[in-house]
Amino acid sequence: MKNRHIILLFIVCPFLLFGQAKKILFTNGYLHVGNGQVLETALLGVVDGKISLVKNVLTSTYKKGDWDTIIELNGQHIYPAFVAPNSTLGLTEIDAVRATRDYADVGEYNPHVRTQIAFNSESRVIETVRTNGVLISQATPRGGSISGTSSIMSLSAWNWEEATILNNDGIHVNWPESNHGGGHWTESEPKIRNDNYVSQKQKLEGFFEMASAYSKSKKEFDRDIRLDAMNECFLGEKRVYFHANELQQILDIIEFSKKYNLKKPVIVGGYDAYLVGNRLKDSGIPVMLMRVHSLPEHEEDAVDLPYRLPALLQAQGIPFCLQNSGEMEAMNARNLPFQAGTAMAYGLSEEEAIRAISLSTCEILGIDKNYGSIEVGKYATLFVSKGSALDMRTNQVSTILMQGKFVPVDNFQTELYNKYKRKYESKQK
Amino acid sequence: MKKKILLYLICFFALQIKAQIIPQNGTIASSPEFIALKNASVYIRPGLKIEKASILISSGKIIDIGKKITIPKNAIEYDLEGKTIVPAFIELYSNIGMPKGSEQNYSPRPQIESSKKGAYYWNEAIHPEIEAHNFFTVDSKANENYLKSGFGFAVSHVQDGIVRGSGTLVSLGDENRSKNTISLKSGMFYSFSKGSSNQSYPSSQMGSIALLRQSLYDLKFYSENEKHDQSISLERWKEDISLPSFFKVNDKWEILRAEKIASEFQLKMNYIGSGNEYAALSSLKSVKGSLIIPLNFPEAYNVKDPYLSRQIPLSDMKHWELAASNPSLLKNNGNTICLTYNGSKTPDDFWKNLRKAITRGLKVDDALGALTMEPAKILKMDTEIGSLEIGKIASFSVYSSDPFTSDASLLESWLLGEQKVQKSISENSIIGKYTMNINGKSYRIEISGSNEKPAGKVETFKSKDTIQQKALILLNENDVTIQFNCDDDAYKGSFNLHGKIAGKGSVLEGDGTLPNGKWITWSAIRAQKESEKEIEKEIELNTDSIAKPWLPNLAYGMDSIPKFQSIAIKNVTVWTNEQEGILNNATIFIENGKIKRVEIDPKKSVELAKDMLIIDGKGKHLTSGIIDEHSHIAISRGVNEGGQAVTAEVSIGDVVNPDDINIYRQLSGGVTAAQLLHGSANPIGGQSALIKLKWGFSPDEMLIKDAPKFIKCALGENVKQANWGDFNTVRFPQSRMGVEQVFYDGFTRAKAYKKEWEDYQVNLGKIGASTIFAPRKDLELEVLNEILDSKRFISCHSYVQSEINMLMHVADSMGFKINTFTHILEGYKVADKMKKHGAGGSTFSDWWAYKFEVNDAIPYNAKLMQDQGLVVAINSDDAEMGRRLNQEAAKSVKYGGMSEEEAWKMVTLNPAKLLHLDDRMGSVKIGKDADLVLWTGNPLSIESKVELTMIDGLILYNRNNNLALEERNTKERARLINKMLESNEKGEATKPFIKKGRRLYHCDTHGEEGEESENQH
Repeated sequence: MKNRHIILLFIVCPFLLFGQAKKILFTNGYLHVGNGQVLETALLGVVDGKISLVKNVLTSTYKKGDWDTIIELNGQHIYPAFVAPNSTLGLTEIDAVRATRDYADVGEYNPHVRTQIAFNSESRVIETVRTNGVLISQATPRGGSISGTSSIMSLSAWNWEEATILNNDGIHVNWPESNHGGGHWTESEPKIRNDNYVSQKQKLEGFFEMASAYSKSKKEFDRDIRLDAMNECFLGEKRVYFHANELQQILDIIEFSKKYNLKKPVIVGGYDAYLVGNRLKDSGIPVMLMRVHSLPEHEEDAVDLPYRLPALLQAQGIPFCLQNSGEMEAMNARNLPFQAGTAMAYGLSEEEAIRAISLSTCEILGIDKNYGSIEVGKYATLFVSKGSALDMRTNQVSTILMQGKFVPVDNFQTELYNKYKRKYESKQK
Repeated sequence: MKKKILLYLICFFALQIKAQIIPQNGTIASSPEFIALKNASVYIRPGLKIEKASILISSGKIIDIGKKITIPKNAIEYDLEGKTIVPAFIELYSNIGMPKGSEQNYSPRPQIESSKKGAYYWNEAIHPEIEAHNFFTVDSKANENYLKSGFGFAVSHVQDGIVRGSGTLVSLGDENRSKNTISLKSGMFYSFSKGSSNQSYPSSQMGSIALLRQSLYDLKFYSENEKHDQSISLERWKEDISLPSFFKVNDKWEILRAEKIASEFQLKMNYIGSGNEYAALSSLKSVKGSLIIPLNFPEAYNVKDPYLSRQIPLSDMKHWELAASNPSLLKNNGNTICLTYNGSKTPDDFWKNLRKAITRGLKVDDALGALTMEPAKILKMDTEIGSLEIGKIASFSVYSSDPFTSDASLLESWLLGEQKVQKSISENSIIGKYTMNINGKSYRIEISGSNEKPAGKVETFKSKDTIQQKALILLNENDVTIQFNCDDDAYKGSFNLHGKIAGKGSVLEGDGTLPNGKWITWSAIRAQKESEKEIEKEIELNTDSIAKPWLPNLAYGMDSIPKFQSIAIKNVTVWTNEQEGILNNATIFIENGKIKRVEIDPKKSVELAKDMLIIDGKGKHLTSGIIDEHSHIAISRGVNEGGQAVTAEVSIGDVVNPDDINIYRQLSGGVTAAQLLHGSANPIGGQSALIKLKWGFSPDEMLIKDAPKFIKCALGENVKQANWGDFNTVRFPQSRMGVEQVFYDGFTRAKAYKKEWEDYQVNLGKIGASTIFAPRKDLELEVLNEILDSKRFISCHSYVQSEINMLMHVADSMGFKINTFTHILEGYKVADKMKKHGAGGSTFSDWWAYKFEVNDAIPYNAKLMQDQGLVVAINSDDAEMGRRLNQEAAKSVKYGGMSEEEAWKMVTLNPAKLLHLDDRMGSVKIGKDADLVLWTGNPLSIESKVELTMIDGLILYNRNNNLALEERNTKERARLINKMLESNEKGEATKPFIKKGRRLYHCDTHGEEGEESENQH
């Protein structure tokens, strides 16, 4: 059975790659819409890159002649593109090699520094991530108080221009740490209260104060490019992503967002968010939750607390999605589906878990009009997996569509695999 | 008879005094011939307190003591009615009068060799030649806190390095150096901290341990062998090794580590403890030496802000509660204890905590003994100091009352028979109600408390209202100062008065300033005398409310170690990892920690004993426990000894740390055993520890009994320090070329060493054998020889095919085997060669892109290697991933299509094989260890969770019990917060929260402690 699948894959793929079908129909797919709904025997039509039809195959009919390509899925699973927000994917190639790192620059307030143009669409890391169903990322800067401006990128494109799904979607603020420490990495420094927290916070407020006043200025020349980059935050066109985990920080961010009338604030991290559910819910601020596969922060935290956080937020009605920042985040973006899987094991329903890495993410990023779910009118950016994409054993991506275009499901790693498999096979002969 | 002794003693002292004459500037001052202190209550020695006793002193010694002694007419007499005399305490751990260590200039470049001049030991942290008596100066300022705490003697040494040198016993008075030096050499001092040495080696605690052992072997060789290189250090040490030995530790487990070394070299070691020994009572029972423990009881945290208090680790809160019980718990444990001032902030702090320890059950006599006789015995000076018996040195403290049971004041320190007044209090009580006349205006003042600690209240009047004001009153000998604020019809501000006691306390009079600054005279006449109130309360015992330490003393610690029990798990799906494959509806019997029986016939009725724990496994899956071939959890102070390229002498087994919460977290992920590997900072790293994750057990109990021996080797970027920054370009090797030669060099040296010993053994039987000496024992080369003799297996950190190939060539040509290549991400390129060599592979499921050398790492690696017939495991190298190795194993199904059963073996049977433990672990088979995990479903499924984990048949994690423990933790925290709040409200000292950085180790983490490393593995 398994072998047959693989053979099918090899026959089908090259054809699909080079023959750019205009009208594609998938039949008999197990379709996860992304919004929580499921169609177990779905008929999915794609015309000119957009989804034109989502129906139950048992209750509808279609004319074969209307379609360039018809793909029988035999119960394979269809998912909307999984999205990796808050990621340096495409901005770094080899973590230890400085020459390949392009996600941080010098300076404390760098809202004008943009990831979009540093995004390497040909990154070898990207193709390995795509193979597991993660098709969109938010290329996100690091460092400083305001790291810079992120953009939302497609993980299959010729260059950064074509990769761009949403340009300059938001700025990233590293909120001052209310408790800090841990120290230099060769010496144990205990974590202690950050006595400068208030002054650091005020400094950040000072910058926003200045930027807010500047946004009302109308002078044409002698502009400050740093503050120009802030303008859209006050207009609501750019999101403000606050990176923070602790209680004190989260409450202060809620207050701060109100004070500067920020239209679209987002909390990134949010380890403690579950403790202040009501206040977060009232504020309407969504949370991009920290890496599910993390160790608990406190000695006595439940051993599985990071696994349970998504369900804890879900239960309180806080809008959230998953993200994967942390050690080796670029290469590890391919494990995002399994982090959703773990969240499912620890309290989310399967469709809630899928939503947390598709539609919810797109809503928070502001691209849900065209991405995030498999609904008529949206781009056909989706993939097919032979089994559940949230389980390691069955995440076997057989087809990827990016805006209706077929994209290779293999990568240099599968090529190396086949190369060396052949080496040993030829030796045996 | 008595007279004779007296005479003899006097003569003896006189002789001693004349042994050295220091020329005087001016006329020689004489001292009184006899001093008599009368009517005091005297602690003669622990267990003997005499009321109304007198002491007769001559020439600095006690020549008579007792209730009725003859006092010569020419004696100076002091009446100490109502006072208490306590023998001078003896401090064992101090650096009084020692020079302040000069910081060496910091250089970011590694320093490989010693920078010392002279023929000293090659490592700067080993300096037995440092003799404290060479440096000793009388430092009154440094003495002050000790004197005020009741100490009269101290052993002082230079507190630096691993072998620190000898200490000198001194008196804490203001005499000259010669007179104050009681004994030139009183002890040898050791520690695991290399101190001010800038030499790269050692950089970890296991390195310190290995260095100390090697240097002791070098000393042995030096002492026994006539032909050797000269060494100032060893020459000195040779003589001083027989002194009493002291080892400074920073944690309870370090005592056990040092004790192992002590027993290896037949040293009786005394330990300067850290204060948390109570958490390892059963392990410490066997320690023969004394535990010299600090009274450094932590202050309560400031817990008023819940946002902040939730940051305090529960273990630290528990320590706050239990620390004061440390002395009594150790004493009751049968340990000999001494107490040290080291760690106390002030003399008040010292006494406050000493009394606290007494309320927690430490007997007064034991407390006194721990400060006097016990230290004297260790120093073998108990005929001279430690008690107030005839012939002993007259050093003691005089208190206003019994200091052990009341808040007494220290009045006098007597050192070598010389009086030093600490606090002079008028004999005339000033307690009572006075009418005060200040510049013609009358106030009423009430002085309460005692002369030592007076408290005052003043009544002032404002528009007919009486206002009571607190007055600050200080009494110094006969001088009284009174300060109070006043806001009445006449004055607003502060009165500052100073005066003398007159008329036996019935009158106080003097001068002072009014609130307006005017200088005036004042007087106060006592209207009513009140007897001094005993404000000191008798100390009450308070032991019942003290919680017991958990095992380990952290969140999720156990109340007690579980006992063996017969267990049956019924109706369960069993992944046997054996030929039987997966069994349905089986019943497993566990007895005495082993798998006793596996019953697969559901029809066969299973007789279940009554006392058996029966677990229904319906719908659940049972597997053998996960074995992590590559782990760095549960390690103390450094995973890498990167100071040298070859450090085979160090061992992770020396530094296993049971107090790591990650042990419990990994149990919750089904891990039962792990190889704790040395890091990858050098080509030949240290020896591994093979452990079971026995939460709550001691380090020795965690180590797998009779486990095969392993060692870590490493190749590539880490060992050539490629990512260590521009300064680390000194240590050889810096390229893969150099790495090869390090191996050749190491094993060539090892072979020569072996030959040297073989020759020695041969020559021993020949004529003239008595002149033949054994060669120097080299710990590093002995371990390399174990590899050559196939007695130790190699687990080698490796990535790219070139280096893997290289090492196999080295091994083949030098005659040893690589057991396991770990990480081995390009193993798929040379799997056939590995097969030929006989190596296995333990790899990451899907890591790559973190270093240049993992650019060709592919997740199909495990499958490709397995297809070539290698034994393949998947490991974590990461505390977080260690909890979900079942998921990592499942990735083998995704990447390359491995069967589920084979995938599962990647984290169970195969690592057991690689670790040569498959005869007792790795599968569900009769007779194997009952290291089992019950899963809610298929263990490879993303949805499965661990229901329970057992090791050796003991259930150490249980999902339901885990929830109960979460609740217990919450309750315990709440209880401790409330207790701390009480303390906060009492105004007791507090401290802000502090959360120790628990370092998560990876392969390339250097140094001892800290936070997470960068993205390198």
